[in-house]
Amino acid sequence: MTTPAVQHAVDTAFREEWGRVVATLIRRTGDWDLAEECAQEAFTEALRRWPADGIPHRPGAWLTTVAGHRAIDWLRRGARGAELLEQAGREALPPPGTDGEAMAELSGETGDIEDDRLRLIFTCCHPALPLEGRVALTLRTLAGLSTAEIARAFLVPEATMAKRLTRTKAKIAVARIPYRVPPAHLLPERTAGVLAVLYLLFNEGHSASSGTELIRASLCEEAIRLARALHQLMPDEPEAMGALALMLLHHSRRHARMGGDGELITLEEQDRDRWDTAEIQEGLALLAAALRHRQAGPYQLQAAIAACHARAATAADTDWPQIASLYALLERYMPSPVVRLNRAVAVAMAGDIEAGLAIVDELSGDPRLARYHLLEATRADLLRRRGDAAAAAAAYQRALPLAPSTAERRYLQRRLRETSTSHRPHGTPS
Amino acid sequence: MKYVVFIGSEGLPVPEALAVMQRELPVWIEEMDSRGVRLLGRELELPQTAATVRVRGGETLVTDGPFAETKEFVAGLDIFECADLDEAIEAVAKSPVSRYHPMEIRPFAAGLRLGEAASEFAREDDSAGTPYLLIMWMGGTPAAPLDEAAVMAESEAWRQDLQARGLQVLGNALEGPEAATTIRVRDGQTLISDGPFIQTKEFIAGIDVVRCAGRQQAIELAAAHPIARYHAIEVRPFCSE
Repeated sequence: MTTPAVQHAVDTAFREEWGRVVATLIRRTGDWDLAEECAQEAFTEALRRWPADGIPHRPGAWLTTVAGHRAIDWLRRGARGAELLEQAGREALPPPGTDGEAMAELSGETGDIEDDRLRLIFTCCHPALPLEGRVALTLRTLAGLSTAEIARAFLVPEATMAKRLTRTKAKIAVARIPYRVPPAHLLPERTAGVLAVLYLLFNEGHSASSGTELIRASLCEEAIRLARALHQLMPDEPEAMGALALMLLHHSRRHARMGGDGELITLEEQDRDRWDTAEIQEGLALLAAALRHRQAGPYQLQAAIAACHARAATAADTDWPQIASLYALLERYMPSPVVRLNRAVAVAMAGDIEAGLAIVDELSGDPRLARYHLLEATRADLLRRRGDAAAAAAAYQRALPLAPSTAERRYLQRRLRETSTSHRPHGTPS
Repeated sequence: MKYVVFIGSEGLPVPEALAVMQRELPVWIEEMDSRGVRLLGRELELPQTAATVRVRGGETLVTDGPFAETKEFVAGLDIFECADLDEAIEAVAKSPVSRYHPMEIRPFAAGLRLGEAASEFAREDDSAGTPYLLIMWMGGTPAAPLDEAAVMAESEAWRQDLQARGLQVLGNALEGPEAATTIRVRDGQTLISDGPFIQTKEFIAGIDVVRCAGRQQAIELAAAHPIARYHAIEVRPFCSE
């Protein structure tokens, strides 16, 4: 019978070891589906055996060995098996019946297993794979989410998600995408690609809209967990630290971002007592450590901006001039109109509303922002701060039909009501 | 693993691009050939020289021009032998052509043989006949219910017949468009995207290079290929010295 202690141990092992087990099995067998299936069976076996045998000293090694035995059994049955086993040569799986922990201790292959996880991250996030497939495969093989869970998180039918996963894995095999950590000269570019997938994952969770909040919130946690793993595996990579810091600093505000009525609460209006101080501290420490490497990058800069907000005791204490200059730097790495729009806000908040509005006006002609609600919403906010209620209301009105989520529509509706009924100018930030 | 690399184009390159490619291409070719990455590569004549061949109800239907009505067309191809996709991507990204043209990397389905005829073709020795590329286009609705295994077997028999007649250079089925990767190099950055460079519902399913006395014979050879009965085959000559 499964005791709560065993259940807890298996759950913990699942969170911490799933990616490792799958990663090692993929290296040994070259078969992604087989690796997933055998990992699944190993966890089932743990639930069956740990109550009687006790929880192993190193659950990860136990699970990897059991999953390895399952893989051997499968391969022996299959026609391809003998060939694969032969190919594996000295790398062959341990013989069945060997004690898992002892095996792992003896072969002392912990380092290899860590490398496997890194191999898996880089392969899942390979730029030749479709972006949607990279995200899905990362969640399936590294984080251990089921196909149904991933489908729910991305609001697609389970069959669609299953197909997406199958296609992505097929491309790896058919086009022969290597299962490895990229060589040094490719590493910066490919690391940026991995971070982009993890940050996309985080943002999917962060921009949660109604109905699916719970599932989507867990995406944030998965993204943070994966970013943490990447940081541990690449401890000298400042951008990996920067990305983790950025996620933690954003995540620290999750309880303050949404009102009880599901309205989005802007940074300025958030109750800062509800920010998660532990996450802020961790994020700030990581950022400081990253900056010591003196290799700036887009994630460190974004984290530095988030840190300016995190360090301000009240909205009025925010160091906007600093944020404005950080956005100017960020524009060099990410010359995107969205970054420029953010700089416009920072410039305005640092005291020069006219200059901020001028940047917004410049951006109005950019076709990439034509359907972006935040362009008009930003213009509206700046006009409101200048005391131009009628023009602000008109801009809120234009932003409203473009807003992608209920939470954002509620915010814009409230501002629209305020500016439409306001008869006296209020030029100071509220 | 053998890959085909399609060089995409939207028309004749601008003079500056042409100058850069003429200057740098020989260096790239020498490096890739000596590394054993590039097995061969040739440029095609422009798409207006193409014919598209279909066989319907036993009758050969020929239309002038390329199959796909897109701005982009295949301007040439290379065949690579690489350990994995990353090696192919690096080789393609290093080519001066990728700065101006999209390049699509697609694995061959197993079994591409390159014999003496392929070596002559690689050396641009066309004394045995003008080389023509036959592009097998699939996708969309086939003209008749398609039995893929039967088509594969018939294709193989077609190839053997051509070989016996000394007309076959090389050819094989390709892995599907889901296995394709397109590379563009812009401002020194390698942009990698999933999928073919021509994005239509039809896709290139295989290629064959044949030697012919002329266009008419190339059309006849295409018409004898099973794909012509279900879909369409584009026929286009390679550039000759």
